[in-house]
Amino acid sequence: MRRSSGVVVSLSTAMGLPAMAANEGLQLCVFDSRRGHQEGQELDKILFFFPSDFPYSVQLSVVGLSEGIITFTRIFSPDAACEVIEEERHSHVFYQAEPDIWMVMIAEKNKDNESDWRCDALIDVLKEAHSLFTMFNDSLQALLDKQPSGELARSRLYTFINDYLSDFYVGKKIQVPSFRDCLKERRTVQMLTVSREVAIEVQSLATVIGISSLGSIACKSLILFQDLLVATTLSPGDTANMFTYAVLRSSPEEYHRGSHDSSMGEQSNRYHMPRPLQRDNWSKGKDGFLVCDNQLNVGGLVYLAPVVWLQESEEHMYLCIYQHRSLTIIVLIPVCSQTDGEQGIALVKKQLLENASEKIVHVEEKLSRGWGGENAYHVSGYRYLLVDTDKSISRTSPPGKVMTLAKDSLFTLNKLREAIDLEKTRANREKPDHEKYLEVCIRAKNNSWIIAKVTQGRELYMVIERANETLLYASDAVEKFSDRYCDGAFSLD
Amino acid sequence: MNLQLLMLKLTHRSKSRPLIMSSSSVFSHGRSTQPEARESNDVRLARVCHPLPQYKSKKDVVGVISPEHEKRRSSSVNHIPFGVGYHRRARLSDDYNGSNKSGFCLFCLIASDPAIRILVNCASQTKEYGRCISKRVPEIERDMCLKEFLALKACMQSMIRNKVGLSGSGALSHVYIQNPPLRCNVPGTQGLYYDDGNKLLLAPSSDQVLSWKVGPSTQPDPPNSDFIGEGPVLSIRYSLDGKLIGIQRSNQEIQFKNRESRETFSRRCRPDSESILGFFWTDCPSCDVLLIKTSGIDLLSYEPDLNTLRLVEAKRFSVSWYVYTHESRMVLLASGMQCTTFSGYQFSSGGIIRLPKFEMAMTKAEANHKPVLAAEDIHIVTIYGRVYCLQFDRVSMQLNLYRFYRDAVVQQGALPIYSSRIAVSVIDNVLLVHQVDAKVVIIYDVFLDCLSPISAPLPLLLRGSSVSGRQALQVEDNLTSAYGAMIYGDSWTFLVPDLICDIDNGLLWRICLDLEAIASSSSDVPSVLEFLQRRRSDPSKIKMLCLSIMRAIMLERRPISIIMRAIDALVTSYAHLVKMENAFQGGDRSSKKSQNSGSQSANTSNIVSAESLDETMNRGKSIIKGSESETQQSTIRNLVNVNDNHAKKSTSKASLDSVSDSDGDANLDAMRSNSESEGLGCSSSRSDSCISNQQEPQITSVAISPDEMYHFVFALVEEELGGDPAYLIAVIVEYLRCSTKEKLRVHPNLYMMTIQMLARTNRYSELALFVTNKVLEPSKEVALQLLEQGRQNFQIRKLGMDMLRQLSLHHDFVTVLLQERYYLEALRYARKHKVITVQPSLFLEAAVAANNSQHLAAVLRFFSDFTPSFKLTSDYNRYHTMLIEMTICYIRENQLTWTGLDEHGNYSIASIG
Repeated sequence: MRRSSGVVVSLSTAMGLPAMAANEGLQLCVFDSRRGHQEGQELDKILFFFPSDFPYSVQLSVVGLSEGIITFTRIFSPDAACEVIEEERHSHVFYQAEPDIWMVMIAEKNKDNESDWRCDALIDVLKEAHSLFTMFNDSLQALLDKQPSGELARSRLYTFINDYLSDFYVGKKIQVPSFRDCLKERRTVQMLTVSREVAIEVQSLATVIGISSLGSIACKSLILFQDLLVATTLSPGDTANMFTYAVLRSSPEEYHRGSHDSSMGEQSNRYHMPRPLQRDNWSKGKDGFLVCDNQLNVGGLVYLAPVVWLQESEEHMYLCIYQHRSLTIIVLIPVCSQTDGEQGIALVKKQLLENASEKIVHVEEKLSRGWGGENAYHVSGYRYLLVDTDKSISRTSPPGKVMTLAKDSLFTLNKLREAIDLEKTRANREKPDHEKYLEVCIRAKNNSWIIAKVTQGRELYMVIERANETLLYASDAVEKFSDRYCDGAFSLD
Repeated sequence: MNLQLLMLKLTHRSKSRPLIMSSSSVFSHGRSTQPEARESNDVRLARVCHPLPQYKSKKDVVGVISPEHEKRRSSSVNHIPFGVGYHRRARLSDDYNGSNKSGFCLFCLIASDPAIRILVNCASQTKEYGRCISKRVPEIERDMCLKEFLALKACMQSMIRNKVGLSGSGALSHVYIQNPPLRCNVPGTQGLYYDDGNKLLLAPSSDQVLSWKVGPSTQPDPPNSDFIGEGPVLSIRYSLDGKLIGIQRSNQEIQFKNRESRETFSRRCRPDSESILGFFWTDCPSCDVLLIKTSGIDLLSYEPDLNTLRLVEAKRFSVSWYVYTHESRMVLLASGMQCTTFSGYQFSSGGIIRLPKFEMAMTKAEANHKPVLAAEDIHIVTIYGRVYCLQFDRVSMQLNLYRFYRDAVVQQGALPIYSSRIAVSVIDNVLLVHQVDAKVVIIYDVFLDCLSPISAPLPLLLRGSSVSGRQALQVEDNLTSAYGAMIYGDSWTFLVPDLICDIDNGLLWRICLDLEAIASSSSDVPSVLEFLQRRRSDPSKIKMLCLSIMRAIMLERRPISIIMRAIDALVTSYAHLVKMENAFQGGDRSSKKSQNSGSQSANTSNIVSAESLDETMNRGKSIIKGSESETQQSTIRNLVNVNDNHAKKSTSKASLDSVSDSDGDANLDAMRSNSESEGLGCSSSRSDSCISNQQEPQITSVAISPDEMYHFVFALVEEELGGDPAYLIAVIVEYLRCSTKEKLRVHPNLYMMTIQMLARTNRYSELALFVTNKVLEPSKEVALQLLEQGRQNFQIRKLGMDMLRQLSLHHDFVTVLLQERYYLEALRYARKHKVITVQPSLFLEAAVAANNSQHLAAVLRFFSDFTPSFKLTSDYNRYHTMLIEMTICYIRENQLTWTGLDEHGNYSIASIG
């Protein structure tokens, strides 16, 4: 999904935004613009607000301002309303998650420069939260349709987004993605590069999983090694969501990490809510499949695997996760195929293990043998981010290596990315079906080269520090990198 | 009359085994009861593995009518072949639980309703037997559940006896003899002798001997005759060059006759202290004739000038009896009280190998009674180029299997015997053990020292000539009535390796394997394919059979694990062939090199060539394509000898490693030298040797190449399978996996097919993975296919474009970029990679189509500057004019006035006011 509009509004503090407590680093709200139009029922508009202990008046004024700006900017840009408001001390980002549902994030800027962020990165957080929510809960619209009072949607949002935000806590404070994260791309998949031989083994496993179930039901699957994807039979969008979830919550490191105090407020649990994003949700069952603890504990209920909604195929699927050492296999079984619930799933699981367990062990061994460690994709001299926007795939320098970069370099790259984002949006608006070719090389204050190259649906961002000062050198370096690691995708001319 | 298959599925859990059988699987008629049995509607009871008709997903099928059988029944109503057995195919259970857990099926082939009642009446016995079997399935062994089986058998027999008649041939068979036999019952002849060195069937009469060449097909050739003079004949053998005839006249004397000069001379032994047991000719370099006497063996050499035999060496020890086969070149000499102490020699063209003395064990029947081993209980067989000895232990009813190595004799196990009389044949490296009393054959493939039978014991069938299928049935019945009594009759003599001689009637039969029947009787398809891939007898037929089996299991959507093993069997076999080919090509060179020296030192050389290795191993025959001149080949063949392990190790170790199935060290290989076929009678061609049909140059191997795999399996299956291709894709991935493992390239069209199927079912993300991980090897064809399939999907198209670029197919890449209207990018790419083969007009046309005068000007300028003489072309003029027009329009539309700035340099638009 590409941003289709680029209305950026810059406001000064003079606009009289609600005063916020100095400590509140972040506010996040979800509201439905169709609700709460009547006097006295304004609160009905708000589906979710973080922090939840904010007084209603403040909540209302935040939502009111956001809605006002959206309505205002629609005058100029009917198709795509406001995306960002930059204040002196705050950034407001808007995301139209569903036709009438808006998500707004307000991030406070610090005095130090640490809070220099890229708005697209903030929007990506909203997008990610929403797509994960949709995957596990169905769309908000559907929830509202199911229960017009909004109680269901609110309670689901409450647990889900709070669980989601728990990942952003640094100490007691929420830290939104800053310029230091500019060599990362949210909502993309990181792939493991394998040799042809291993790839065939992996595909063989994937196809066996695909057809191993009873009858003609086609199971979908994702295969991960460590926290890298090796095979998928889902569409790119669903793959990205599933992958994000897997890396967040069910990768081996993740569920071994032990307890993390998410210190959630205990709201009255009137609805039974699946909390797939809650930490320590999964534990390994006897058969090697992960078991969702939370749901086991629900008194009297028969345990059922969590159900996810695939956007591409528009199907509800049972989510089963199998783990063997570093190999994670996510199997999705169509809900419509399983009429006898848990028994049916158990049967499919059993079948699957019968047919594939040998292969699983074999593939895991092969992958482990070829695994180059966490710095496998480090290219010395370069700090890079490579994004294939069509396939939602990205590859980056290992985080440990990115940390070694000077602040200036990252700062400049962040600015450059911001500019490129804008340029891309603009180009997309003018010629939606024509892909942009773009190349920028900047020499930063600390004499590092900051390079961005966009071509045929691929993007390359790069920082080269301690490099020669000529531009020729920089472009040669890109060319070399492209030929070596991107099959020449960036050295077309 | 409905013939019905009654199925009783007995539950047991077991993976399908190579074969399940027990001693009780054969019901043996005692010879004395035979006439009675024939009259008294007896029933033949055997465990039958019969292919089930295909039906799917019916859990509770009880009876199935088989039209083929119905028809047969109607022609011979009065007999019922009645079979009880495990059904290893177990397709029924496969189908409905989707796994390969073969259920245990006890089924009967019975006629009509009363017959069903028989089984129903014997239900308790059936149940008992089934329960017993299923309980003990993990440890299949001899005599398992014998008691229960006998009870069931007795019950069914008694039921049948009261009901319907029985006669004739068994309906099912895996081994048959082909009508017509070679007839050699000429009046006046006295007995038949088989000269296995020359493959001659000899019938001496009063003063001459008639000889029939036993070729691959028993064609009724008129016999040759030789005058041998009067006198008794105990045995008779032609020399290997056909010049001499040796006739054993008595225990004391062997007469030799030169066929050309008609001179005779005799060799006698000391009448008081020794007697002659026999003699044979050898191609061993140091001697020509071996004379076996009770006091030892004489190695004799023929002196043509003197027309006499010279004693080369005499080995002295006492001999009770001996066994020799020319095929193995091996003589076993028995001595000792029980005749269980053996000395062995191999007289091959490579020299003489003396085996260590060894003792064969015999089970004692009772205390103080020691059985004596008889010559007819010892069989020498040659399988996969290895020499084995089979010893029939009558007390324990076992056939002990010994394998000969150069320096050791190792017992390899024992096969169960169900008859007091047995015979052994080897056809195409398959061991047949004829249970003569029971009139059934058990088939073994001892390739991997696995001693379980290939299939259940079934009778030997007599078949009409080349008719097959249903028409043959009628013929068979007639034949059976003509020869029925004679099957496994007393007058049958089994000749090495695969002949049956009916001495009384003067008939010679060749035993044949019905590979199709064997294949269809087994549910373990991968093992069947492995078995078939090891066969060499009729490559084209076997290949077709393998291909059809492969297709069938795919169409039946067998579990991928089965398919995987089946594919593995075929791919491994082909990879082996390729390796052999390479080894042969390497070895061929060395043999050429050694040719000169070889012919010089013909009599002593131990030259090794991969070619003769092949022969010895009896594998990969087809490699010998007759490219070399035939004479050279045969010279070398005569010269070379594989058997010298010394030479083997030093000169062709590498090829041996890939070729040999030996255990690495001295492997006493059987000799397959062609010399045997040289010389004797110019009329008889080279094809006289028993293995000659494997050597015909035009014959291809049974191994299935990737091309054949594509054309005869995947292409056909794809057409038939239709619908959701997920299963086929899984199979293809398995095939790719096996091929990659063996480093074989698959047919490029297979990639096309995969792309089409993935694209058809919108599995784009998988297709992308297949392409980016190079599971589908990049090639221009693949790239174009991706572009083709990507008409609807830009991502797929892009994969194709990327592939073109990565393959450095610059021209195609630029063309595709142009088609995608990326003309500036195309231009830049063309400049960088110096692509000059794409017409400038294509770029210009794209710019015009985009209606962008600036771009058009840029493109025009590019070609004007970089392509010499472009300005002289009509293209230049045409597009230049167009550019001017576009510019004028642009200026007019925007109501600009001409400022005089000529931004494009070389043209002027001064005409505008």
